[in-house]
Amino acid sequence: MKKLLLPLSLVLLFLIESLLVQFMPANLFGDKVWVPRFLIITIFFLTIYGSAKHGIIYGLIFGLLFDIVFTEILGIYLFLYPLTAFIVLKIMKVLQVNLITTSVVSLIGVALLESAVYGMNRIIGITTIDFMSFLNMRLIPTLLLNAIFLIIASYPLKRNFEKFADRLRAD
Amino acid sequence: MPQFFLNKRLIVLLISIIILVALIGFSLRERSQPSWPEQFVKDTSGWVQSLVSKPTQYVVDLFGNLQDLQNTYQENKQLKTRVDKLASLEAQVQKLEKDNKQLRDVLGEKKTLSDFKPLPATAIGRNPDQWNDIIVIDKGKINGIEQNMAVMTATGLVGKIKSVNQFSSTVQLLSALDPKNRISAYIQGEANAYGLVEGYDAEKKQLLVKRIPYDAKVKKGQTVITSGLGGVFPAGLLIGTVESVKTDQYGLNQTAYIKPGANFYDIEDVLVIKRNATQPAASDMGAQKGENL
Repeated sequence: MKKLLLPLSLVLLFLIESLLVQFMPANLFGDKVWVPRFLIITIFFLTIYGSAKHGIIYGLIFGLLFDIVFTEILGIYLFLYPLTAFIVLKIMKVLQVNLITTSVVSLIGVALLESAVYGMNRIIGITTIDFMSFLNMRLIPTLLLNAIFLIIASYPLKRNFEKFADRLRAD
Repeated sequence: MPQFFLNKRLIVLLISIIILVALIGFSLRERSQPSWPEQFVKDTSGWVQSLVSKPTQYVVDLFGNLQDLQNTYQENKQLKTRVDKLASLEAQVQKLEKDNKQLRDVLGEKKTLSDFKPLPATAIGRNPDQWNDIIVIDKGKINGIEQNMAVMTATGLVGKIKSVNQFSSTVQLLSALDPKNRISAYIQGEANAYGLVEGYDAEKKQLLVKRIPYDAKVKKGQTVITSGLGGVFPAGLLIGTVESVKTDQYGLNQTAYIKPGANFYDIEDVLVIKRNATQPAASDMGAQKGENL
C-alpha cells in the first residue's frame, strides 16, 4: 500500500493541475495566464530529498502522459520534465540543501521549464507572442502561483520524501 | 576515440535530442487519428478525469449558485422586461418557421446547410499549460463523434474536434493558433459580408475574421455566424459580435475583430454538432493534401 502512495499522489496532482485550470474563474486575473506546475515541483522535491533515480523516471512517465493527454505533441514534456529535474539536482549538489534553497531552486526549475516550453512552441509555431509579453502574461504570474504552492506544500513534501528515502534505504 | 564520445552523459543528451526532434516531427505530421497506445492512454486518463471532474464540477456549481443568489433581484427585473417581448417573438418565429417549411416543401428542398444534430458532452479536463488550447470531453467514437465536428456552448462556437478516441475526444479551441483552423463565416447585415475566421489575438482576446471584401459595410455590434460553406460545420452557429474593423495592409480586404460569444475560459457543458448535410470530399473543393477546409 505504501508503495502505491507515491504514484497515486502524483496522478492526483496531474489531475488537480488540469481541474484547477478548468474551474479557475475566467476573468479573475485579467489577461494573465497562471500555469500550475505542482507536479514538476513535487518531482523536484522527490529528486532532491527522495531518490534521484525515482525522480527522473517519474519525470519521464508523467512527461509522456502530459504530452499524450494534453498537448498531442509528443516529446516536449517527455524531454523537459526529466531534464529540468536533472538540472535542479545538479544545482542542489552545489548548494546547501535546506527548505529555502530547495524552494528557490524549484522555482528556478519551473521558470526554466516554462521558458523552454515557450521556446519550443515558438519554434513549431504554436504561439507567436514575443518574449516580453510571455514574461508579463505568463512567466511572472506562473511563478507567483507556484510560489504559493511551495509555501503551503514544501514542508510536508520534504518530510514525506525524507521518509520515502529512509524506506528505500531500509529495503 | 576522442574524449567527446566517451562522455556518457553527453551521448545520452544527444540521443534524447534526436528522439525529441523525431517525436515532435511525428506528432506534427498530419495524423487523422492518434495511434492506439495514445488512444488507450487517453481513454484511461479520460475515465479517471471524469471520475474526479464531475464531483468537482458539482461543488463548483454549488458555490456558483450561491453567488448567483446575490444578483437575483437585479436580474429578475431585467428578465421580466424581456419576457414580455418574448411571447410575441415566439409567435413570430413559429409563424416564420412554418412559412419556411411550407416554402421548402413547395421547392422540394428537404435538406439545408443549417440542419444539425447536437450531441451533449461534458468537459473533463483542460491543458494546464494553456499553450495548445485543448479541452478533453467525455464522449468518443462510440457516441458517434467524428473528427472536425463543431463544438459549441450555449453562447457560441468554441472549437472543433481535434482527435477522437473510443470514449473521449479532444477539442481544439478557436483561440488555438493553427493555420488549418479556418471557418467560413459571415457577418449579418443588410448584405451579408463573408469572411474566414482565422487567428486569434491573444492580447485582446478577440477572434479575427479575415478576407472580408473591401467594400462590405461592417459595423460594430453585428453578429457573426458560420456560413456552412466550409463543408464541415453547419450554417447558423453563433460565433460572436464585431468589435472593430480595419483594412488590411494592401487595402484589398478587411479584417474584423470579433468578440467571441462563448467564454473560452469557462467551458463546462458543450454540444458537439453533427451536420446533416453531406460533406463534400476535400478534393472536390480544391484542398491541398492534408488540409482541412
